[in-house]
Amino acid sequence: MTATLDFLRLLKSRPVGLAGLIGIVLFVVVSFVGPLLVPLDTKVDLTAIYAPPSFAHPLGTDYQGRDVFNQIIWGGRDIMIVAFLAALLSTVIAVTFGSLGAVVGGAVDSTILAITDVILTIPRLPLLVVLAALLRLNSILILALIVGALAWPSLLRAVRAQVLSLKEREFVEAARALDLGLGHIIFAEILPNMRSYIAISFILAMTQAIYAQAGLIFLGLVPLSGTNWGVMINLAWVRGAVFFRDSLPYILSPVLAIALFQLALVSLASALEDIFNPRLRGAA
Amino acid sequence: MATTAEVRLTATAPSWTSTAGAVASGFWRHAILRALVKAAATIYVVSTFTFVIVRLMPGNPIEIYIDKLVTEQLLSYEDALATATGKFSVDLRRPIYEQYVSYLGNLARGDLGSSILSEGTPVTALLLRYLPWTVFAVGTGLMLSFLIGISLGLMTALKRNSPTDHVVSSVSAVVSSIPDYLIGILLVVFLGVQLRWLPITQMRGVLSPGIQPGFTFEFVRDAFFHASLPIVTYVLTHTGIWMLTMKNSTLAALEEDYVTAARARGLSERRITTAYVGRNAILPLFTQFTISAGFILGGALFIEFIFVYQGLGWLLYNSINQRDYPIMQGVFLLITVSVVVANLLADLVYTKLDPRIGRG
Amino acid sequence: MSILAVEHLSIAYQTRRGAVQAVRDVSFDLDQAETLAIIGESGSGKTTLAQSLVRLSPRSATVTNGRILYRPPDGPQVDVRSLDEGRLRRYRWQGCALVFQSALNAFNPVLTIRDHFADTARAHGMGDFREQATELLDMVSLDARRVLPAFPHELSGGMRQRVLIALGLLLAPQILILDEPTTALDILTQRQVIDLLRTLKERLGFALVFISHDLSLAAELADRVITMYAGRIVETATVADLFYRPRHPYSLGLLRAVPRVSGALGNLDSIPGSPPDLIRLPPGCTYHARCPFGVDDCLKAEPPLLDVDTPAHRAACIRWQDVADAVGSFEPAAVGV
Repeated sequence: MTATLDFLRLLKSRPVGLAGLIGIVLFVVVSFVGPLLVPLDTKVDLTAIYAPPSFAHPLGTDYQGRDVFNQIIWGGRDIMIVAFLAALLSTVIAVTFGSLGAVVGGAVDSTILAITDVILTIPRLPLLVVLAALLRLNSILILALIVGALAWPSLLRAVRAQVLSLKEREFVEAARALDLGLGHIIFAEILPNMRSYIAISFILAMTQAIYAQAGLIFLGLVPLSGTNWGVMINLAWVRGAVFFRDSLPYILSPVLAIALFQLALVSLASALEDIFNPRLRGAA
Repeated sequence: MATTAEVRLTATAPSWTSTAGAVASGFWRHAILRALVKAAATIYVVSTFTFVIVRLMPGNPIEIYIDKLVTEQLLSYEDALATATGKFSVDLRRPIYEQYVSYLGNLARGDLGSSILSEGTPVTALLLRYLPWTVFAVGTGLMLSFLIGISLGLMTALKRNSPTDHVVSSVSAVVSSIPDYLIGILLVVFLGVQLRWLPITQMRGVLSPGIQPGFTFEFVRDAFFHASLPIVTYVLTHTGIWMLTMKNSTLAALEEDYVTAARARGLSERRITTAYVGRNAILPLFTQFTISAGFILGGALFIEFIFVYQGLGWLLYNSINQRDYPIMQGVFLLITVSVVVANLLADLVYTKLDPRIGRG
Repeated sequence: MSILAVEHLSIAYQTRRGAVQAVRDVSFDLDQAETLAIIGESGSGKTTLAQSLVRLSPRSATVTNGRILYRPPDGPQVDVRSLDEGRLRRYRWQGCALVFQSALNAFNPVLTIRDHFADTARAHGMGDFREQATELLDMVSLDARRVLPAFPHELSGGMRQRVLIALGLLLAPQILILDEPTTALDILTQRQVIDLLRTLKERLGFALVFISHDLSLAAELADRVITMYAGRIVETATVADLFYRPRHPYSLGLLRAVPRVSGALGNLDSIPGSPPDLIRLPPGCTYHARCPFGVDDCLKAEPPLLDVDTPAHRAACIRWQDVADAVGSFEPAAVGV
């Protein structure tokens, strides 16, 4: 509890990071609690296509007269779940194998590094797109799995570098001397010292996951049903809403929603980095 | 009493040039060899991976295509196999292992099969037709974002914590966190539709109708006209990361002892900024180049789609939509190979710039 | 006439906790062709002092008081602190050359040794430096043909230190300041560097200041020694006087802590305790907490430098007489004085 309070106090002196945290909380609450309070508006009203913002429809209506604001509330949940799961998967893989390779060294390390380097070189988006085309991404889980499974290489290299530098420190040597076993060394000694680093990486992995999935959905390669900011953009594009002047709120709302959420994540991550990396702070 | 290093240097005295030359170039080649081997290995793995996906996975495109031929065009299974063989440059009647080997052989010879939809068009020809446009747009975008990014990075590092630094860094941070396709959409929406500043529809495609390719001013101007929005999107998206990397790298270089030592020797600030700070700060950027090249080529997919710019990305998207798998496979391989080659070049340049690498 | 006169120099760093008094009221003179050793432990302010002599203190450090007067034989006296940009650059390396430790980081890793010489020469309007450089490298026992085209990481620590010394003498400065010249080197290389410095001084006649925590270095090379503690000079004397007749408890403690070459441990005492907090200095004498001679009077006020019983010898201790008596029964460690 005190750690959280300390953390919040540190964050207070970095307004950008604080704003990011607040933004994230807001988005999450709206996206998860909102749908519980507000039913999805599926009423089709062809007389009110692309209606301008009004009291009844704060963000106007879409190409079928449905309320845009309502869709925005419902649109974040899937994206956030996929981002979270994908980031979780890639962080777990990267941390486990990165630290394993760094601590064990030798052939194990070389193998892991080789595999990582090869996958790192393959451009992720074309690969994702190809996989999306060949597999059928009709469930959130599969989408998260694919996105996460391709995101770990750069994180693994960074984790490995960090662990390598920590490895030479005394507390690791002490643990070795006490014969405390590989698992213990990794999970109880080294990783706790990298907590902040892993947290920042997790947040950044989430932004990558959002980028990937929203992009795939935008291209129409993910046959997901349901409301989703990415789906909204896709529909807007496909229906040509982009080229009508009146449909500005409709196209702009999901774009801003994604952009602002990404911005909040990035702000928090860089504030965290600033807190935990003293060298980046300005001269005292 | 000489230390080992000095003994080593003096021991090569008799034939200094030849011995040292051989030793040095051996080291040098070693680092280059490593980079080459890595590049070759990656290309090999990707080729195999593509083969697995396209040929071996359950529900793979070749099976689907054969099914389609059999059910829709009522071909016999053997005839369907033969047709598919022609399309995919893989002899489907042979055992898997042989297919794999011949697939690799074909790749090496540049035979990537033919398009399913446009009869008789070899994939390689299609690739060559669309490749230059992507290279043009992506290359220009990458170069511009690099130049702008490192200048801004150097400036914000030198003027750290000044108002300029804060403004530039904030703006860059905001713009960089927005996905590139969203920036593209925003450009279309605002510049094209809302404000009507740009003739968006006219800017589609890579060339205006009637313009002939050639080294004429008219052609170059037209090419830039059509590529301008994609290039602007690339620059907006990627300048931020160059700036940030250069800024961090410059800040680190500024704190190095050799900078203070250079000042102690009375060197001018200008010389220090270029040869001491700048040249060292730029080294880590080569790793970033690797990441950026892959990223931009991947992003080209979205950007070309949004701006209807017929390059490789656009081709990939269309081939996916139309289920034209040989093209899809070909574009994917080409994009990957391009990234590998770009990385290789970056690695090679790095070994030349940093004397600590490859010289033992 | 002294070539450098430091008068009441005080330097403080700004930190979050407060101002660190790194250098407090330091005054000393440096004569032409003299070798001065500044001895102190880490945190004594010696490096800050050295950096300030060429105005290279870190950005967070401010000179709160004092003057640094440079008196070149062929020009007027100047206060280093008041030099403008152009003259400061000329003073650096031409008037006074501050040479850092031989760590790899003193060199720009992407430039060859020749580039380092070229940059230095060019910055000071020196045309063809090759002859000078080759001669100097020869004087430090290095083969210019091999060293000049090399990159810094290709040289050993000893070679780098020697290159730095040669580079320092390129413009024939009046004053050469060496910060920890032997610290990162093995014993044998240290020997080489010490002999080298002695020869160079004889040949070229510059004034040499070196900063160290290594007393034996002072014994080998110095004419005069200054010991610093907690940012102040606590004793200044000729080298013989400091080693045979120390008058400040800190100097005495340093001497006692040096083991003898003969191997007999004898009276090997380290100084107990640790240096004081330079942000909130204790009242009175800063050495009191660790001083075997400390009495209540010591806490009343910080002792000024007092003349003691030998000429040109001063110590900041009100009980120097008692120190002198204690020394009578003390043999200096066999450091080759």
